[in-house]
Amino acid sequence: MGRAAAASDRFWRNVTLAPALALFVLLTALPLIELALLSFHDVDWAGGVSTWRSTGISHYVALAGDNLFRVSILNTLLFSAIAVTGEMVLGFFLALLTTSVGRGRTIYRTVFLLPILMPGIIIGAIWKLMYSFDFGVINEIVTLVGLTPRDWLGDSHFALASIIVVDIWHWTPFCFLLMLASLESLPDDVFEAAEIDGASYWQILRAITLPLMLPSILVTFVFRLILAFKVFDEVYLLTGGGPGTSTEVISFTIYRRFFTEDRVGYGAAMSVTTFVLIAILIVAVIALTRRRASTS
Amino acid sequence: MASARTTRRRVLTAAVAMAAGLSVGTGIAHAQSSKEVPITIVINQSPWFDGFQAVVEKYEKETGNQVDLDVNPFAGSLEKQRNAVRSKESPYDILVMNAGFFIEMYQGGFLEPLTDVDPQFKLDKDIYTFDDSVYWDAKDKRIDAKSGKLMSVPINPYIPLLHYRSDLYKEKGLKVPQTWDELLANAKALNDPPQRYGIVQRGARGTFDVTFDVLPYLWSYGGGLFKDQKGGDFTVTVNSGQSEAAMKMYLKLAKEAGHPSTAGQTQTNVIQAMATGRAGHIIAVLAAGTFDDPDKSIVVDDVGFAPPPHAKGYPSSPPLGHWLGGIPHNIPKNRQKAALAFLNWFQSDKAQRAYAEAGSPPVSRAVLESDMANQQKYRWMKPLAEALKHARLTFVIPESAQVLAITELRFNQIIAGDLKVADGLNKMADEISAVMKKAGYKAPELEPLKD
Amino acid sequence: MSVTATRQSTFLRHALLILAAIIVLFPFLWITAAAFKTQIALLMGRVLFAPTLHNFADVLFSSTSDYVRNFTNSLIIGLASTALVLFVATLAAFSLNRMKWPNWVMHSMLGWAVIFHMVPPITLASAWYSMFRPIGLDNSYLGLILAHATLNLPMALWMMGVFVRDVPGELIEAARIAGAEIPTILARVIVPLVRPGLAATGILTFIFSWNEFPVSLTLTQRQTATVPVAIGKYAQENTIAFSGMAAASVLSMLPAVILLIIAQRFIVRGLTSGAVK
Repeated sequence: MGRAAAASDRFWRNVTLAPALALFVLLTALPLIELALLSFHDVDWAGGVSTWRSTGISHYVALAGDNLFRVSILNTLLFSAIAVTGEMVLGFFLALLTTSVGRGRTIYRTVFLLPILMPGIIIGAIWKLMYSFDFGVINEIVTLVGLTPRDWLGDSHFALASIIVVDIWHWTPFCFLLMLASLESLPDDVFEAAEIDGASYWQILRAITLPLMLPSILVTFVFRLILAFKVFDEVYLLTGGGPGTSTEVISFTIYRRFFTEDRVGYGAAMSVTTFVLIAILIVAVIALTRRRASTS
Repeated sequence: MASARTTRRRVLTAAVAMAAGLSVGTGIAHAQSSKEVPITIVINQSPWFDGFQAVVEKYEKETGNQVDLDVNPFAGSLEKQRNAVRSKESPYDILVMNAGFFIEMYQGGFLEPLTDVDPQFKLDKDIYTFDDSVYWDAKDKRIDAKSGKLMSVPINPYIPLLHYRSDLYKEKGLKVPQTWDELLANAKALNDPPQRYGIVQRGARGTFDVTFDVLPYLWSYGGGLFKDQKGGDFTVTVNSGQSEAAMKMYLKLAKEAGHPSTAGQTQTNVIQAMATGRAGHIIAVLAAGTFDDPDKSIVVDDVGFAPPPHAKGYPSSPPLGHWLGGIPHNIPKNRQKAALAFLNWFQSDKAQRAYAEAGSPPVSRAVLESDMANQQKYRWMKPLAEALKHARLTFVIPESAQVLAITELRFNQIIAGDLKVADGLNKMADEISAVMKKAGYKAPELEPLKD
Repeated sequence: MSVTATRQSTFLRHALLILAAIIVLFPFLWITAAAFKTQIALLMGRVLFAPTLHNFADVLFSSTSDYVRNFTNSLIIGLASTALVLFVATLAAFSLNRMKWPNWVMHSMLGWAVIFHMVPPITLASAWYSMFRPIGLDNSYLGLILAHATLNLPMALWMMGVFVRDVPGELIEAARIAGAEIPTILARVIVPLVRPGLAATGILTFIFSWNEFPVSLTLTQRQTATVPVAIGKYAQENTIAFSGMAAASVLSMLPAVILLIIAQRFIVRGLTSGAVK
């Protein structure tokens, strides 16, 4: 390859990356750097002018003793773990079932994808009414089958579980979609060989399908986990973090500090800490799955 | 660094504003009749918004001036206003601010005193000042009708009222309650769960939800969160004997005649309970329009209104949840002038009447006490006027949101039974005092309550 | 396996699928019914009700509603930000995967994408506002298009990366030997081959943009407000206007549902041919 070609290559290499880099630097790096700086400051407003007052690491120190923050991290972990696991399992089995039937496949596929079309805020409103203690359809069904009606959103024993159910309803389709795509792209010949060898359905599933799908399961899991950690719209409309602190999730706590209370410095420290935690968690999840995959 | 930049910007803005001001300066004297530049009002969607819009349209028709409305979900309005006043030039000319956050706007210096826009401007004598909340003393940083400047014109008089089922009252021969004990008796008389609860209270945790519901109890027992906010005495009184008695009354109502899940009830739930005939009483911000609309309610014409009850020896003490219209500091003079022209028109008697006729409670005493109040449709006017006499500001400090974060959680936990009354109130007092002290106030605590 | 056993298991599978479909569809049916009810009929949970078109009329024609404009705004912003994301992500995916960047460049770009993806969008919204306001990009299509493109870029970068990697290297080499310049290779070789991927990524991007709420709320005013912002307004100070919200929601889902019915085979095919291998 000539020198001219190499120069031209380098030119195009830069040009093709430039737009993405520009968006990242301007619209993500700058705000995030500001956020990081903000976490060491307090911002005061007087006479329409802002002053940044350095606070050192005091926000981070305060964070360590903030009970609400701890509760919200725990709730978010619990929420994400249960919801995403539920979504993955359900999405996987729905995908298996859908690919295993001949007729009606397209219809099922379309129906199962519908929930991702709904904005979170509408989902919140619908489920709020369906969960209503006095006239919600869920309590009607519960009464119909002879159980006691509950205040699903107002009782701290059920509130988080109720939100998890909504999240599973909302996001299983996403996992379903990615699982389906992964299933359909598996090579047929392996399965044919296994069937000829007389392997049972479950044996094939365990020994062939799952290991082959592991990379895409992992990617979907991580992708969903990140989204689940950011859960906000539904909680906002359904419970507002209550009753007590039973549905206090991290996005919501940050939102309150940052916006409602206008403690931007403290809110920023919370954001930074949270995404360091998520990053650690995700690296751990990936490392763990990789290790298990390589040992089995 | 950031502050230097902002200051420079402000100098520039001020220069531009002055230039603009000079060019229109001569027009100020006859502001009312002159043609104004178009303005934009930032407001939130609410049950009274339709009434406000009707009045705006009337203004446009009468004066030929243009008014744009940026309507937001309730949750987003504060953030948008904050963003606007903190930018170089606000896109909005009038901010419609809630009782919960106007102090932040005053304190931050984000608003232009109305008398600085036009020295001739006065608040109409018939317009409520809502516990003087339209006046701000920038030097001493406090609400003060004497030393303060006029900062805003009230837009809506939201305060909680007792809503009761007048048809059931007639049927059972009940009298409108004055005291909490009378309310308890009436609520018990109407209690027939699960078809109907004697009273439905808002115990859910939110931004300013359960606290707003508990305050009429606390205050009318002589308790409260602080001893005397307006007077500058921030002694935390949430765990006083009076506050405890008030809280016990709240819980008694909930337990003996209330909803089985009071801690889970939001304002939406409470209003729905009344609209669907599930509640004998509610204490909620005025929702007359909702209950008299057959598309929204099965209790049309069956809801009566009264000031919230009180303990013996104290007046009914509703907290203010009203709305104020202010003009941002960071807009050119000609836009401020156009904004003031609208506010000035809005406070006129005919505008206030039109506002009421379009379905929104007006902010004019003259209209609330006029002959309109005798019509069945406006039966809420007299009780509202009555309740407004003792209505009080909830917070006059910018730290309100931090205090509310504490009270919302703790009151909710007390109502849910997760905390004992004394424990919860003591905890709250500790936490509030800590927040206040950190912000530089003297906020001593009382002796903790014992069980 | 005997014939009856197979038939039984097919029956069982359909039964399970139908049960799942009912659970998925129920809230949709419920909200559609709600859109034709009065607020009180909805609250009373009336199963039999006199249907009314009032909610739809209110959403579409009342003077307090800008729904038609919101809808147009959402379409413009959704389509434009999707186009922008696809353009930027495809170029970047090509550059990173096919242009021999040093490893650290690739890892830092993708790593940054993941980190950015973790930040709750609400914390970015006000930062974007204060960046956009001085240069007049608040309350403009361009501002929100850029914001939505940025929000969706990590996902698009990740998906398009997989598709571009799947294009056989020999094809690109062959084109180069034939003397094609990079833009020609992109237009003639890469784009035609990753078309299913573009469809899949595009549809997901469009849906995410169509549904995005907090950033749209912060960056828009009346003239530029999108559908979710309009729907958010039904959550009022102390009530939720459920029936109006239901009508607005049903209308808002129509384009997405139509898109899904037409395009779901592309999504699945697109993903199948690469993305999650």
